Amino acid sequence: MLNYRRTLRWMLLPYLMGTVILIVIPAIVTLILAFTQYDLLSPPSWYGFNNFRDLAQFDDILPRAMLNSLLFVLLAVPLRILGALALALFLEHRRRGVGLYRTAVYLPTLIPDVAYALIWLWVFNPIYGPLNQVLEAIGIEGPGWLTDARFALPAIVLMSVFQIGEGFVVLLAGLHNIPRDYYDVAAVDGGTGWQKFRYITFPLLRPWLILLTLRDVLLTTQNTFTPAYIMTGGDPYYATMFLPLHIYKETFEDFRYGSGATMTVLMICGVSVILITVFVVLKGWRNQNAYD
Amino acid sequence: MIFGDPAERAAYEALVTAFESEHPTIQVQLIHIPSQSDYRARIGADFAANTPSDVMLINYRRYAQFAARGVLEPLGDYLDRSPLIQTEDFYPEALEPFYWEGKLICIPQNLSSLVVYYNKNLFDAAGVSYPNNDWTWDDFLETAQRLTQDLDGDGNTDIYGLGTEVSIVRLAPFLWQNGGELTNTDFNPTVLTLDRSNEGLEALQWFIQLQTVHGVVPNAEAESAEDSESRFMNGRTAMYLNSRRGVPTYREITAFDWDVAPLPQGKQRAGVLHADAYCMPSMIDDKEAVWTFIEYANSPAGQTIVAQSGRTVPSLRAVAESPAFLDPNKKPLNSRVFLDVIPDLKFLPIMSTWVEIEEILTEELQLGFYNDPAPHDIALMMSFRTLEYFDPPQR
Amino acid sequence: MRMIRRIRTISYHLAAILVSSVSVIAMIWVISASLRQPGLPPPPVIEWIPNPISWSNYQRAFELIPLGQYLLNSLLVIGMAIPLTLVTASWAGFAMAQFTQGTQNRLILLAIILLMIPVTSLWLARFVLFSRLGWIDTIWAIIAPAMMGSSPLFILLFYWTFRRIPKELYESAVLDGAMAIQIWRVIAMPLAKPTIVTVMVLTFILYWSDFISPLLYIKSTEKYTLSVGLQMLQQLDRSNWPLLMAASVVMITPIVLLFGLIQRYFWSEKGIFNNL
Repeated sequence: MLNYRRTLRWMLLPYLMGTVILIVIPAIVTLILAFTQYDLLSPPSWYGFNNFRDLAQFDDILPRAMLNSLLFVLLAVPLRILGALALALFLEHRRRGVGLYRTAVYLPTLIPDVAYALIWLWVFNPIYGPLNQVLEAIGIEGPGWLTDARFALPAIVLMSVFQIGEGFVVLLAGLHNIPRDYYDVAAVDGGTGWQKFRYITFPLLRPWLILLTLRDVLLTTQNTFTPAYIMTGGDPYYATMFLPLHIYKETFEDFRYGSGATMTVLMICGVSVILITVFVVLKGWRNQNAYD
Repeated sequence: MIFGDPAERAAYEALVTAFESEHPTIQVQLIHIPSQSDYRARIGADFAANTPSDVMLINYRRYAQFAARGVLEPLGDYLDRSPLIQTEDFYPEALEPFYWEGKLICIPQNLSSLVVYYNKNLFDAAGVSYPNNDWTWDDFLETAQRLTQDLDGDGNTDIYGLGTEVSIVRLAPFLWQNGGELTNTDFNPTVLTLDRSNEGLEALQWFIQLQTVHGVVPNAEAESAEDSESRFMNGRTAMYLNSRRGVPTYREITAFDWDVAPLPQGKQRAGVLHADAYCMPSMIDDKEAVWTFIEYANSPAGQTIVAQSGRTVPSLRAVAESPAFLDPNKKPLNSRVFLDVIPDLKFLPIMSTWVEIEEILTEELQLGFYNDPAPHDIALMMSFRTLEYFDPPQR
Repeated sequence: MRMIRRIRTISYHLAAILVSSVSVIAMIWVISASLRQPGLPPPPVIEWIPNPISWSNYQRAFELIPLGQYLLNSLLVIGMAIPLTLVTASWAGFAMAQFTQGTQNRLILLAIILLMIPVTSLWLARFVLFSRLGWIDTIWAIIAPAMMGSSPLFILLFYWTFRRIPKELYESAVLDGAMAIQIWRVIAMPLAKPTIVTVMVLTFILYWSDFISPLLYIKSTEKYTLSVGLQMLQQLDRSNWPLLMAASVVMITPIVLLFGLIQRYFWSEKGIFNNL
């Protein structure tokens, strides 16, 4: 029996070791590098808090990138969560053809990032792209999308709103976990659809929604890299310069690994602040709700 | 390791094949990265991982960042010892920018410069005469205006008179022609001087107005819908600004006839150097074998192979004057314009942070080119935003 | 009543079809664009079916870059990552399911924290680490996450599955003197077939789509995967839309087919996501 327990621990080992090698050590290394100057060619030299000072003093793109990333999260996350919720509610029940509809909704999520970026680059093409041509056919003159500083960021939000398969699936599962009896009781009491949602579905889905929102905040900050890298390179005039792309350029194109690490640390702090805020707000809102 | 389009790649494949048949003991593997920014990231990462390619083709605007870090082997001594090639065989204009702190670091394969590629069929159709060798800025603008056409009358331009990448290397020759200067010195400058002279601002304004006022160049939307080079190749742009490197790709054009013309002239003669050089990392083992390749690539035999593909304006005087480059049976017919401009060529500053500076300058220039703020404001922003990269603070 | 029900059914399907079409419309446009004859001037108005239909963009994409080679490279990565992921993730899930409740909760918390770590923050340090390990420009740099089960989500999926297997099954086997590995292989895994299929498919998608690892860690052009190959094609000919769309379709098709194969199962009542 002792032997058995020991073997079990061995079976957990690859996962824990992988975690240490691929996540814990890199995290520590990043934290240390944030306080050094390092171009990988010569050994890192200690630089204290000077990276933070230099970034504050010289890097005029960083505030822009932070603001863009924040704006992106604020726009994309609510839209994505609401979209996933609406679709999950709409396609919840088993009916003829529902599998096909669900697959159609899930499909954009399956598409590899690079291909997805290229596809939307074509869709957003201001003159020959299908989106503006369809708009023109119904009498609307479409904007320049990715070439227009006002529309570039919303355009990337728009394309991200189509990739909500993960949230959709999780919320479907959440809906299926709600016992049918609850609704049956409500039906007897003559509850309306809205009341059912308000007093049964929503409260029971809440933990799922909180978890999803937290995860989505994280995902959407990260997922701006590939579209920005492939589609715009941060243009027009930094309108789509997000933190991950800025860090990539600083680190891998300008060989400033030290200040790249500093930005990474800043990004993690920023994301943590958002996560905690979201968590506190959603949680507080639940407690308040408990009284009505 | 090289960069460039597929048609350019073929030229280097031919070079490698010829080299291997002459030196059967040395194997060469060609690595091809299409984009410049990836290329730079790649070289940096390779150095960092201690596994650089043995030979790298690097543009003169980009080698200083590596030279300053001491990771490139100076090749001057190798050249002095070479029985195959001598310093005097090269155009001095090609070698000059590759001297870093007095040492020749890399051996340039070419000395190209900016010229005007033009579509003869579009000129004929519009009844516009071909550019001559001493046309002026005004002639240039007028030609572009007459060639810019809206064929179906829907208010959208269908054929543009001119296409160009919007970047500081494209602007530079016009700036110099007008008597402006980009920086205070050629090597390790300490100040951006674009905003310090009216000549510079005037040239900047003229360049920007090609789009904002005259509309002979595609605007931001049209450019992103289809870039100017692709428009030129598809016969919907009459003139396109590029260096020699476009030639291998343009030779595949069958739908129309084209040629090259020199840049129009401003107050004084000037052109912008485009040169790429073979560089050797200092950390590799078999330096002699690597030198053998670089030497071969820059020997008359090697340069002839690449020149025949159309890719280069050879940096060896003898090859540049030979039919390998001036072949009357191959386009462009007017290849001599690349040689005529050589005495007037100037180069962009050589400094370790130039790539970052150029990136910012280009970003500001594009903002101006597509949105039309006052030239003085653009130049001020350029100076202000690049301050940190001159006499760089330790980062 | 019947009338009203029928109208409701029809309007439901109409709405569902509308939603589905909006969702996949970009893909339809892409397929259409990929079949457009190269060299034609761009269409002035929207064109749903190109005339004439031309397959030459697909041919050209394979000529211009070694797309076939990249496809094989991607498959090789996946071929190595899937078994590795299955073993490490199911081992971890299997072990987790049998620890004390306290340990289980701590490990769940760990997995959730790991799910919350921004991957972008690890690029740089992993690059430094991999270059010290000599993994740069090797397949190991791409499949390294498979060592830890590729994603903490997969560990949790296996954990949830194994936890539902009655404890008595394990215990009687242990009393018979079976080793943990044997129980995992003979009892646990055969009961986890749906989870295995799901994790396989998700792993496939994960590595097929992975752009950042090969972009950062792979140097030799002949070792590129499809993602990086596609990006390279874009840089070679950025305004050649039919060509780029054809290559995108090449990249999307296998994954859509794969999902098509399992979609019935994916949405069924027994589907993995309905049993969390």
